[in-house]
Amino acid sequence: MLKMTDVKKVFRTDLVETHALKDFNLQVGEGDFVAVTGPSGSGKTTFLNIAGLLETFDGGTYELDGQDVSNLNDKHRSQLRNEKIGFIFQGFNLIPDLNLFDNVDVPLRYRGFNSAERKKRIENSLEMVGLAQRMKHLPSQLSGGQQQRVAIARALAGEPRFLLADEPTGNLDTKMANSVMELLKTINDAGTTIIMVTHDADLAKQARRNIYVRDGQVSEL
Amino acid sequence: MKQSQPQTSTSWELGPILRAMLRNKVGAILIALQIAITMTIIVNSVYIIVERNKDMQRDSGIDNENSFYLTSVGFGDNFNVPNTVEEDLNMLRALPGVVDAIQTNAVPNSNSGWSMGLKTQSGVEHDAVGTAVYMVDDHGVNALDVEIIAGENFAPSDISLRIVGQVDWPNKTIITKAMAENLFPDINYADVVGKTVYINDIDPMVVVGIIDKLQAPWVNWSNVENVMLSPERQSFKGSRYFIRTEPGMRDTLMNQVEELLANSNNQRLIKGMRSIEETRERSYRGHTAMIKILTTVMVILTIVTALGIVGLASFSVNQRKKQIGTRRALGATQGTIIRYFMFENFLISSIGVLLGAILTVILNVILVNAFGLDRLDWFYIPIGMLVLWLVGQAAVFGPAKKAANIPPALATRTV
Amino acid sequence: MFNYYIKLAFKSFKRNPILSLLMVTAIALGIGASMTTITVNYLMSANPIPHKSEQLFHIQVDNWDPNNPFNDDEDALPNQLTWTDATNLTHAKKALRQSAMSMSGAIIEPQDSESKPFEASIRLAYTDFFAMFDVPFLYGGPWDNNSDSNREQVVVLSKRTNESVFGGENSIGKNIVIAGRHFQVVGVIDTWEVMPKFYDVNNGPFNETEELFMPFSLKEDLELPNWGNNNCWKSPDGEGYAAFLRSECINTQMWVELPNAQAEADYLDFLNNYVRSQKELGRFPRPLHNRLNDVMEWMERREVVEEDAKMMMWLSFMFLLVCLLNTIGLLLAKFTGKSSEIGLRLAVGASKADVFKQHIVETACIGLVGGIAGLGLTLVGLQGIKSLYGDFVDDLASLDASMIVVALVIALVSSIAAGLYPTWRACNISPASQLKSQ
Repeated sequence: MLKMTDVKKVFRTDLVETHALKDFNLQVGEGDFVAVTGPSGSGKTTFLNIAGLLETFDGGTYELDGQDVSNLNDKHRSQLRNEKIGFIFQGFNLIPDLNLFDNVDVPLRYRGFNSAERKKRIENSLEMVGLAQRMKHLPSQLSGGQQQRVAIARALAGEPRFLLADEPTGNLDTKMANSVMELLKTINDAGTTIIMVTHDADLAKQARRNIYVRDGQVSEL
Repeated sequence: MKQSQPQTSTSWELGPILRAMLRNKVGAILIALQIAITMTIIVNSVYIIVERNKDMQRDSGIDNENSFYLTSVGFGDNFNVPNTVEEDLNMLRALPGVVDAIQTNAVPNSNSGWSMGLKTQSGVEHDAVGTAVYMVDDHGVNALDVEIIAGENFAPSDISLRIVGQVDWPNKTIITKAMAENLFPDINYADVVGKTVYINDIDPMVVVGIIDKLQAPWVNWSNVENVMLSPERQSFKGSRYFIRTEPGMRDTLMNQVEELLANSNNQRLIKGMRSIEETRERSYRGHTAMIKILTTVMVILTIVTALGIVGLASFSVNQRKKQIGTRRALGATQGTIIRYFMFENFLISSIGVLLGAILTVILNVILVNAFGLDRLDWFYIPIGMLVLWLVGQAAVFGPAKKAANIPPALATRTV
Repeated sequence: MFNYYIKLAFKSFKRNPILSLLMVTAIALGIGASMTTITVNYLMSANPIPHKSEQLFHIQVDNWDPNNPFNDDEDALPNQLTWTDATNLTHAKKALRQSAMSMSGAIIEPQDSESKPFEASIRLAYTDFFAMFDVPFLYGGPWDNNSDSNREQVVVLSKRTNESVFGGENSIGKNIVIAGRHFQVVGVIDTWEVMPKFYDVNNGPFNETEELFMPFSLKEDLELPNWGNNNCWKSPDGEGYAAFLRSECINTQMWVELPNAQAEADYLDFLNNYVRSQKELGRFPRPLHNRLNDVMEWMERREVVEEDAKMMMWLSFMFLLVCLLNTIGLLLAKFTGKSSEIGLRLAVGASKADVFKQHIVETACIGLVGGIAGLGLTLVGLQGIKSLYGDFVDDLASLDASMIVVALVIALVSSIAAGLYPTWRACNISPASQLKSQ
């Protein structure tokens, strides 16, 4: 499903060279739920960015769903993100000027679905996260937990193979965090592969598999 | 997984963009208003420029490049005007390079001259048609470089001498085609030859010839082509000579003529020597200045508006960095992002140019009423709309490009 | 506190130099364009003789064609008088001061053989001209009443003519040959340029003052040419200069000084009676219609301000409006960009009024800098106007102190007006919303 071999990522400024990932090796199978933990600065987010095709890398190979994505151009990568990957961010990243319906609509537009199809998917996914009644509301009218649910609905509406979650509960209280976690587990049970970056060990335990990143390298737990 | 449709059909996001815009009305309204007023000013300015240019391009009838004139003012008791004029003209006409020379009371396009009214019927109760008067001798037609298109020129024996305070007029005249058509709208200009017209309400003059075209002294007069020639020399203290030269000889002859005339008689002075080119430049200076000023205003205004769009768009890109990163993460290509901002600007511009079209018409109506301008031709408006659309699109392209370069990884950054 | 706000304004200016520069440029351009056209209009419509413009009147009487009014305008009256009426009215002496006047020209022959003869413009007038218009004298003074009635060959020189003929010395009593006649110099006036040249707008309201002044009565004796506008509705009865002067052709201006409303009413009565008596002589075939126009009414009636100048002024106001809309947009952008700073200030105890003041000061600073830059652009604009229109606008394109004040006031007021909405928005930021990370 996802296979990274000796992936390297170097950040250069005029003065310093930081090796964010060095010889990063990881394989994730279909339907897995992987929690990635590690101290801050360990390369968790860099790994997530590369896995989600948000960033390029400097060495090694990365195969996603059987396809080598090491040398794809920007447009192609955008397309892959759109079709195969769903994102959940720590800060929810909802677009404040758009209501819930339009927020979930964003990736579907890029997918090029027709409007009937988009409507059906938006309604279904908002239904799934329990916010179908509030489609016309703006994100600012919702609680944090509800906003993250909208973000999850947006990630799922395109029926991606992969869900990448970056500290999905980082901005939520325990109760809300738990409910979001339950939602993710339900999604995983339905067959979607999930990789979740977190610094919360308790949360990580709920995943099927845990990996630990330190100094840009994987150590399986 | 459902089969996805081809990417090229990515929809324009009209609905979401509109709804997002409505949440940030002020910025959009400001840009739309700027575009509307800019369009109003630009379209009306262009129209004024075009109209003024048309005025300046009109044919004066005379040989603009190769004609000049000057005034000889006599003083002292022994100064005999008719003799001096005769001597001067003989001397001028004999000069190599001079095509012809005349004494005249006024010069086309110089903004100062005589006007009279001509009537087709005798009597104070009838309406007169205003006309400029040039008093010339039988060389007038040649010196002024006009063509007799019907009838004939004055004969040397037709020429009389006008004294200061003289009231009556010669009994022959030559008029322009435009004047003939204004006097006798119902008949062909050629048939005006032989007709009698009345000057001073009752004094008859017979039209002996029609000339093709000659402009009056006053360039802003609405009947600038209403001109009559009167077969006269003048015995005024100041004599104006109009001289037409061979091509390229004008400047040499101007110096030569001034010196010759000044030296031929110490009881006079020569003043006001000027080429027709310079005269026209002076008479149309207001037009030229207006054109240059309006052009400058238009250019600066367009730059100001464009910079305003760049400024607000850059700001809005900065404000929406996170959102753009998120969109990129969710699968927007760079092209999609550029298109988003271009389309957003297109919508705002559309409101602007529609409002602009209305304001343009209103300003034009005001200008028509307050300053006597002509009605705007309709096609200026769609052209103006198109131009402002393009300005908006060009201005927003830079910020849109910047937005497209925002990395998708920004989405995972917690700022 | 004010100083603190100023300091903050400059800090803010430095933080967003490009945005700030854009705003200053926009205001400067708007102010520059408006002030250029306002200056030209202001000078064109200036009151040329402010202390007594309401006591000086140009006379209009309707001696025109019974079949056609003077022009298409509803209550149009001939814009000059006949020689006959102007001299009659002057000789009647019914006003405090009065003078018929017209423009002419003649050749001056300097006595020393080295100088060449030259042509000079002449203002023909009565002695009251000088007192009525407060003409300043360098040497001597006006001729007296007797010179007017006796048609004496006396002359008042302009300062420049005195310089070119007499080298600038006191030339009172000296002899000068004008139009072939010997004249005695009785006065030399100091620099006197009225703008507009209200007493005779026919030859261009912004032309220079004449080079010579001499008794109006000499016009007939010397058969001096008419340099102004001459307009006839019927031809003179008879040939020659005398017949021309006595014709119904209008070519003479007529000004009177009437110190108060009573004098004005009395004079209009006198004028009406005069015209009635002329009607008995078979003149004035149109309905009785006479008018007194004070200086500014006359300037208005004669449309001294060029239409192009007015049009440009209105266009430049629209230009300023675009620049201000621009500034509003940019200020909005700038202040929104500062929302976290504002949130912080509110959180640490600033009141809304404090935040409001801070940002209005910031806006005013931008306006002031823009206004000063705009003044610079105005100078450039006026220089441009001079080079485009030529010499005759020289005096129409200069900036005086009051215009500088006007420019700065417009810049301040308009920039503060532009800043109101963005500032209001800035004040209404909730402190809490800005302190959380996005």
